[in-house]
Amino acid sequence: MNLVPWRQRRESKSDGGTMQLGRLRNDIDQLFDQFFRDPWASLARGFGGGPAVDVAETDDQVIVTAELPGVDSKDLEIDVAGNMLSIRGEKKQEHEEKDRNYYFSERSFGRFHRSIELPASVDADKVDAVCKNGTLTVTLAKKADAQRKKVQIKER
Amino acid sequence: MTTETMMKRHEPTAQNAETGRTYTPPVDIVESKDGWLMLVDMPGAEPKEIDIQYENGLLTMRGKTQHGQRPGRFLLHEYEPADYERSFVLGEGINADKIQAEFKDGVMMLHLPKSEALKPRRIEVKGG
Repeated sequence: MNLVPWRQRRESKSDGGTMQLGRLRNDIDQLFDQFFRDPWASLARGFGGGPAVDVAETDDQVIVTAELPGVDSKDLEIDVAGNMLSIRGEKKQEHEEKDRNYYFSERSFGRFHRSIELPASVDADKVDAVCKNGTLTVTLAKKADAQRKKVQIKER
Repeated sequence: MTTETMMKRHEPTAQNAETGRTYTPPVDIVESKDGWLMLVDMPGAEPKEIDIQYENGLLTMRGKTQHGQRPGRFLLHEYEPADYERSFVLGEGINADKIQAEFKDGVMMLHLPKSEALKPRRIEVKGG
């Protein structure tokens, strides 16, 4: 895709009651943005379209975090190609189906697959992934020529 | 006593203005003949800072996450780490002294055994 809308996200701040309306608008904006950026997210089966994901960038790194409660790292597959990060896995049920009745069910399960377009090319050999307490953090080093470098302005 | 009266959901409290946001975690409750299994999704919670209280029939679970400034600029921001809190009213059918909790991969599992009176029991018929 050559033309993809890109908008920098601002962190939402907590400000009491008025936040609700702002958040609704933010959520709808995100829904549209997400569709353009990552169409597969809405089609993925499994918990509500997949895990919630944050992508942040610094001058020399891209940091992707995802909430994956109940996903064992052996059921998780992460791969990097060019500037696409793919997170694939399965959230399984903790218990067996037989002999048990669900009285209350708010959580979802199943397979998920998110493909995330990274803002810069990364070095596939310098990727670090840690899964702790149900949160996955993937730290990717940007390729040398993709890093943000200051340009010196010469005075004449 | 039906299962419904066993556990009534207690609506969560409002946001905590100081620390920012408190999130109500999704819960599954599964019943078996020995008790209930309560599963709570709390990704990012620190296992040592999970607090479970049971007082006067009210079970309250709280989890703390590390929130605050995260490095870098956000390009995609689908969730905000927040502390977790959820409460449930437990009926008499639960043996509160034997509640056990386990935390694994961001999911809290609570075993709530049924009190003896509630377990299905065969009643012997004495023949004449």
